[in-house]
Amino acid sequence: MRLATAAMLLLATTAAACGDSKDDGEKASAPKAPATIPQLTNDPLTLSFIWFEWPPAQALEAFANAEYKKVRPNATIKVNTVPNANWHDAMFTQFAAHKTDFDIAILDSQHIGEAVTNGNILDITDFVKNNIDVTAYNPYLLAAYGQFPQAETGKRDENASLYGLPLLGDTWTMIYRKDLIGDKPPQTWDEMISTAEKCQADNPGVSGLAFHQANGSDAAAVTYNTVNGVYGGNLWDAKNRKIEGVLNDAAGQEAMDVLVNKMKPLTAKGSGNWFIDEVNAAVAQGKACIAFNWIAASGGLLDPKQSTLGTSREQILDKLGFATLPSQKTNLVPLGGMGMHVSAYSSAANQAEALNFMKWFEQADIQKKWAAAGGVPARTDALASPEFLNAGPFNQVYADSVPRMRDMWNVPEYARLVDIENTNVNAALNGAKKPKDALDDIAKEQQSVLDSSNRKGGGGL
Amino acid sequence: MSDRGLAVVFTSPALLLLLAMSVFPLLWALYLSFTDYSATRGGPAEFVGFGNYTAILTSEQVHLRALTTLIYVVGAVTLQTVLGFGIAYLISRRTRGRGALTTMFLVPMMLSPVVVGLFWRFMLDAQFGVVNSMLGSLGLGQVEWLTRQRTALLSLIVVDTWQWTPFIMLIALAGLSAVPKYLYEAASIDRASEWFRFRTITLPLVWPLLLIAVMFRAIEAFRLFDLVYILTNGGPGVSTETMSFHIYKVAFLGFNTGTASAYGILMVLVVIVLTQLYLRYLNKLKEG
Repeated sequence: MRLATAAMLLLATTAAACGDSKDDGEKASAPKAPATIPQLTNDPLTLSFIWFEWPPAQALEAFANAEYKKVRPNATIKVNTVPNANWHDAMFTQFAAHKTDFDIAILDSQHIGEAVTNGNILDITDFVKNNIDVTAYNPYLLAAYGQFPQAETGKRDENASLYGLPLLGDTWTMIYRKDLIGDKPPQTWDEMISTAEKCQADNPGVSGLAFHQANGSDAAAVTYNTVNGVYGGNLWDAKNRKIEGVLNDAAGQEAMDVLVNKMKPLTAKGSGNWFIDEVNAAVAQGKACIAFNWIAASGGLLDPKQSTLGTSREQILDKLGFATLPSQKTNLVPLGGMGMHVSAYSSAANQAEALNFMKWFEQADIQKKWAAAGGVPARTDALASPEFLNAGPFNQVYADSVPRMRDMWNVPEYARLVDIENTNVNAALNGAKKPKDALDDIAKEQQSVLDSSNRKGGGGL
Repeated sequence: MSDRGLAVVFTSPALLLLLAMSVFPLLWALYLSFTDYSATRGGPAEFVGFGNYTAILTSEQVHLRALTTLIYVVGAVTLQTVLGFGIAYLISRRTRGRGALTTMFLVPMMLSPVVVGLFWRFMLDAQFGVVNSMLGSLGLGQVEWLTRQRTALLSLIVVDTWQWTPFIMLIALAGLSAVPKYLYEAASIDRASEWFRFRTITLPLVWPLLLIAVMFRAIEAFRLFDLVYILTNGGPGVSTETMSFHIYKVAFLGFNTGTASAYGILMVLVVIVLTQLYLRYLNKLKEG
């Protein structure tokens, strides 16, 4: 009894203490970065990034420490990485604590809404006006990696605020076996499927297709979104915040049918949980005729140490081709890649250094060097430069894909929306749900997330 | 200083640590469970009464995860109990190599669940896994262990069984070692069969201890998260999402901290209520 009384007393004290939250109920919004870079420190300083574990993360750290140190010898760049599946959580749990061990968060374009609404990253609109030549970029790339509210596909709203700058552009490339299907890549989605079908029949032990199907990160969702775009579907009506009836319209249904009933049978058995690494492994081991993967993750395919396709890069390139995605009713491709965003909880000295780094990084000559080091730049001049185009066989694919890109939703509810889509598409691909049911469930559940954004209690189920 | 004062001085660091690390978070979570609060969105926690609890208890999504968790708990714990007791019984009848055998069987229990999950993920891979390779060499077809609805949950049960059967085995072995020898000697004199001895001596004496082991395992299995995260990530679809995994998603995908707190509190309540009922049954058994 005495214990219960003590517990109640403690609970009441806790509630009283915590009820007096430091937030006074005002809706959080991103704090503004200064328009000009403040005085930089001359003391030794470590500028920390957070990203997920993949080759571009190591490339960025090596590149920045080699090049940025030339202008800021006292600064050391550290790119902290987490597994891809933990990437969002690792950043946003620190944001929740209002204390981050990183100065620059490398956010997926879809994370921006959540970070801005919560006031986690700096509003750099004025800084960009004073320090960045915005005309040097394809407007949509600048918008996708920094603008909020979300950009309309292919456009940038010049009146909208910017919260980030491009770090690494990305899209899907079609990887195909030239020795099995010929030098000329399929031009339409239907042709791609029939080519893969024939290749699989002609080459026992080799699957026709390899693509992302996992229910983690955004794997299966991006796959469906890509097919949806190619078949003329829409993810949502952004203006009216409508998903139900838009995503699962006739075009959406056709896309789901193509994905589950035509593409899935051409994949390897047990590939229902494949993501970036597994698709790369299948290609490197000669187990797939045609594969789809992010360009920024494709560099390893040309490494003879990791491939059974040849003992040199040239030998591998004799067998592997990289092409832009085939088109069908439209020629849309998925927008990948990430931007740099300054943590609102970083120290003033580190925020100043972060802004200085971003200004330095976005210069034309640095962007070309970044391209040569294996990065995918966003500036138009860097994209057209020989440094970029000659750095990898898939870089021309990226340059050609830029005008065709379409992104997902970068609303604050993104993490929930993508989880709903991931799990349902994954269920359809693995026979746990009928394709039509899966798509209808996605539309219904996503709509309910958007509609319940302002409802009190019971959210997130 | 009096003895009482000394006792307070010596126990207070541990007590303070317990209060700070366990009691306070629990009470804080209890408070948040009655509010609409997000750890990332800021703003004060708005009181919503039992709104979160009502939403959880009436949610179809939660019912689905509860059913998955129940199937998993019943399947895994039953299998572990039968196997654990069986292995313990066989080991207890040996005189030579008992220690070495026991140690060998205990190895899986010593491993981190994440490590266990990772290497079973490789072993169960449909394309390159050793399990399918062995099945292939026996002339059997490939099985999609982790990507099909039926086999994914079964795989989780099998992996959990591989890791935790030794726990049941250890406790059963302790119980079996404690059975007085004279009972078996008396049964031998009466020419009792092996089955009769097992049914009337071994099982009744080990049963209460075994039930305690079952209770611990059931509580652990009820909270399963790590293996799901590594092996299937809740897939295919959400067919292997347990309640703990669902809480994680509620808490960290949308940062619905209030709802996640209520969900967690409800899970604790379920465990407490079921454990109480179970302990009453155990006490009755003891009295009987």
